Parts: sequence; C-alpha cells; structure tokens
Amino acid sequence: MKIRIKDKVYEVEISDSGGERVKIKVGGKEFSFGEDKKEISVAKTVLPKRDFSKKEIKAPIAGIVSEIFVKEEDFIKKEQKTLVISAMKMENEIVSDFEGRIRKILVQKNQEVKEGDTLIVFQ
Amino acid sequence: MKILKFKIISSTNEIAKKLAEKRKTEPWQVIAAEKQTSGYGRKKTAWFSPNGGLYFSVILPKSKIEDLQTLTILAAFIVAKVIKENFNLETFIKLPNDVMIMSNVKCQMSKPKKICGVLTENVISKEVKLSIMGIGLNTNIEKFPKDLEKRATSLKIELGREVDNEKILNQIVEEIRNQLKTISE
Repeated sequence: MKIRIKDKVYEVEISDSGGERVKIKVGGKEFSFGEDKKEISVAKTVLPKRDFSKKEIKAPIAGIVSEIFVKEEDFIKKEQKTLVISAMKMENEIVSDFEGRIRKILVQKNQEVKEGDTLIVFQ
Repeated sequence: MKILKFKIISSTNEIAKKLAEKRKTEPWQVIAAEKQTSGYGRKKTAWFSPNGGLYFSVILPKSKIEDLQTLTILAAFIVAKVIKENFNLETFIKLPNDVMIMSNVKCQMSKPKKICGVLTENVISKEVKLSIMGIGLNTNIEKFPKDLEKRATSLKIELGREVDNEKILNQIVEEIRNQLKTISE
C-alpha cells in the first residue's frame, strides 16, 4: 500500500513475522514491532544507507599546496580552513564543506595538485 | 565608493577577511590603512608598510576562479597604467602581480625596482565564498631599509614630491570594477 506524508509518497508493506511481532517495510527500510512487557518496542532491522563517497575535499583549482592547517585524526568543523593552494599568485584558502574527523590527507606541503584531485578524506 | 579607513592596522587583507567572514562587508567595500604592522605578500612574506604608502583591500563580488586569475593580472596592469598616466613614469609588469619602474635615483644606470604588489586571496569550498584583492603601492614612502632600497622604490622618491593617495586609490578601484565587468560578461 502507499501512504502520503506531506508531498512524499511511501511504499509500505506489512507482514506477520510469526509470534506477536509485525514487520513493516517503508521505502526499503524494515521495522519490527512487537509487544514486550506491555510496551511497544520498535527496532530498526536495516541501517540507513550512508553515503561516504562525498565526504572528501577536492582541489577546486590547480596549483601548489602552500600550507596545511590540519592533520589526520583532527576533528574539523564545517567552514574550517584546511589548506592553501597557491595558483597564479593567488592564495586560495580551502575550507571544509563537512564536519567530521579526517581519515587521510593525501597531499603534502609544496606538492602540485590538479583541479579535481582529492586532498582530504573524512572518516 | 565605501572606504573603511584605519590609521594603523595589522593587514588590510587580514581585516577584510575577518569582516567578510562576519558578513560585515559587501562587494566593492574597500579597507584602507595609513600603516600596516603585519602587511604581507605571497607566502606571508612581509610587505614594508610604513606611513605614507597606500595599502588597501577590495572585497570582490563572487566570481569564477578563472575570472579572478585574470583580474589579478589585470590589476597589476591597471596600477601601471594609473602611474604612467598620472606621473609619466615608465612602468612595467613582472608577471603576474608586481609593478616595477625603471629607477634612476642613486643609480648610475636605470634599474628596475618594485613599486607595487597585488595579492588576491580566495576562500573556497565547493564554490568561491570570498575574494579579496590587496594592493600595496609605495606612494609617499621617503626611505626604505638597506635590504630593500636596491629593489624597491616609491613615487615620492622617483618624483621628488608627494602624491594624492586617495585620488590614486579611487582611480585604481574604479578601473578594477570596470575590468571585472568586462571579463565576467
């Protein structure tokens, strides 16, 4: 069956899993409901998919990494400055789009980078 | 033109960045100082900034990175043109961002000496969030320290008279505005 919440339509499937538990599938995610000690418990049986692929900082411009302000394992905030790329005599401060812990820094000071090169990967 | 003037400041680029990050500026706001205590050029090299010189930063409107690169080079040409037109001094560009003049002062042969430097700084995440163009022009500086006097000069040293800092600032910023309009179209 389909239910509409605000403007979004969800595909919902209800099934009996035996005993006194009921499984409800909403848009690919499965939830299990049951009556334990007269309390209703809700358990997610499928973890939401997380998109790790975008959690990295890429070089927006070709140039030379002239300064690095962060190190691996650092927890950094959104908009925190991470490094500087010098290009055509412009100094380009690269700030983070994400909040998170840095897993790997793939560049070193004075290294040349091309536009689109991955600089920093988050955990 | 909105000019925020300081008697003494660490660096016009640094203060411009701080003000812009607090969203206390708008495009084409100019931050000018009579003296900088920590003026800097590329790679944070010190820029000699005593009283008398012209030090200012311009908050640029959000633009494409390619346009900003072009604008940095154009800014050096604009400064050279303003010096040539106002004072009839022979200027040339040390690409992409220094302006030099052939100096005869205290030299048997003319020697190229630096008179101006341009430093554009951008803050970028997925897009350009902030761009600041800083210009240091040696206008009414009377004397340079020993280690600089062979490489640097000022308009006052070359002309033997003082120049109008505010007039020069206005001419340069207006021209930068016109050029950005042209290259962004």
